[in-house]
Amino acid sequence: MQKLMIRFSIISILLLVFASCAVKTVKDFDKTEVTSQVYKSPYFSDKNEDYVYKASISVYGNNFGGIFIVKKTNETKHRAVFTTEFGNTLFDFEISGNDFKVNHIIDELNRKILINTLKRDFMLLLKENFKVSEQFENENFKVYKSPDSRRFNYLFVNKLDKKFSKLIHTTKSKEKINIEYLSENNTLADKIVIQHQNIKLRIELNKIIN
Amino acid sequence: MLLFSFGVFSQEQKMSESEISAFKNSVNATAKSTKTLTTDFTQLKHMDFLSKDIETSGKMNFKTPNMLQWQYVKPYQYSIIFKNNKIFINDAGKKNNIDKGNSKMFDKLNKLIVGSVNGNMFDENEFTISYFKTKDFNITKLLPKDAALKKYVKQMELYFDKTGNTVSQVKMIEPSNDYTKIIFKNKVINAKIDDSVFNN
Repeated sequence: MQKLMIRFSIISILLLVFASCAVKTVKDFDKTEVTSQVYKSPYFSDKNEDYVYKASISVYGNNFGGIFIVKKTNETKHRAVFTTEFGNTLFDFEISGNDFKVNHIIDELNRKILINTLKRDFMLLLKENFKVSEQFENENFKVYKSPDSRRFNYLFVNKLDKKFSKLIHTTKSKEKINIEYLSENNTLADKIVIQHQNIKLRIELNKIIN
Repeated sequence: MLLFSFGVFSQEQKMSESEISAFKNSVNATAKSTKTLTTDFTQLKHMDFLSKDIETSGKMNFKTPNMLQWQYVKPYQYSIIFKNNKIFINDAGKKNNIDKGNSKMFDKLNKLIVGSVNGNMFDENEFTISYFKTKDFNITKLLPKDAALKKYVKQMELYFDKTGNTVSQVKMIEPSNDYTKIIFKNKVINAKIDDSVFNN
């Protein structure tokens, strides 16, 4: 009997721990049926478009800026380049699904931890097809949950205008990266804010009309 | 390919030794008598994979010996001031200062930028320089010698107006062959520029 009691207590404690650890992202949302197996991000998907943004990066209190350029170069590949305002290339990456290639990076920025951070951010930003494993909704949003290795992406789509307005990248228990999109027409993101939760890094991108 | 895209400035001819020294003398004389320079500029960033060059534009102010302000107005507000070995940035209201005193790279880039504005770039220790002429321009092509600078800049090309001996176009070619071209317009020499222009 005592054994049973102990076992029961352990289970309840574990349950409590798990419950409190569960990611807060879709707390208070209702779980619904999965209506589409794949969610397609509308942004960065047009091969004819030059996506050019003025970037403001704030990292641990330091601010710097530049120009962030994205081009979809074929069905599966994106080029992501960052230059100074004068046009000097600081880094040049190629992203294709889970493949990531550094074409060029200046010595001053060539740090593994920085490259890995940017790699994750840009892969999230440029990912087009999200496999949906679960679906949620509240009054304003439909939320698609998509597995990403051992992590997850929660995609928030506005019910009213169907705009993809937010991506939250999480582990099982914690939100790690928040990407917010502002879009006039739902195919071009006019403003993007990438906010990290565990490091003090914020990237703001404002579309330049070229 | 590169030569091809230069069709507009075709018929580039190498200058003779005597033309080179005459040209250098007149540029140096102009640079010496230039106390201030203010000009509009248009910047074109060319990258092979883009369908269109990225165009930005603004105003530039220069005052001897070494105060320089680049102010981008379109399509965004951004200004960068080089003054007393420091760089002051105003990025749409967000201000940032960089002390470049300990950065050799910044110093070199600064010299490059100031030099391309006032034409004072005939430093044979820093560059391998070749000289060309067309109907409208005298052209200098500079290959950096410094290994660190070479990583950023493969070649600088300065186009000098034959009439005024001042720089009217700068082309900075990167190691990847992508380039930035800056075209100066409405140049005014020796107009009064208040020092406060160089405060952010």
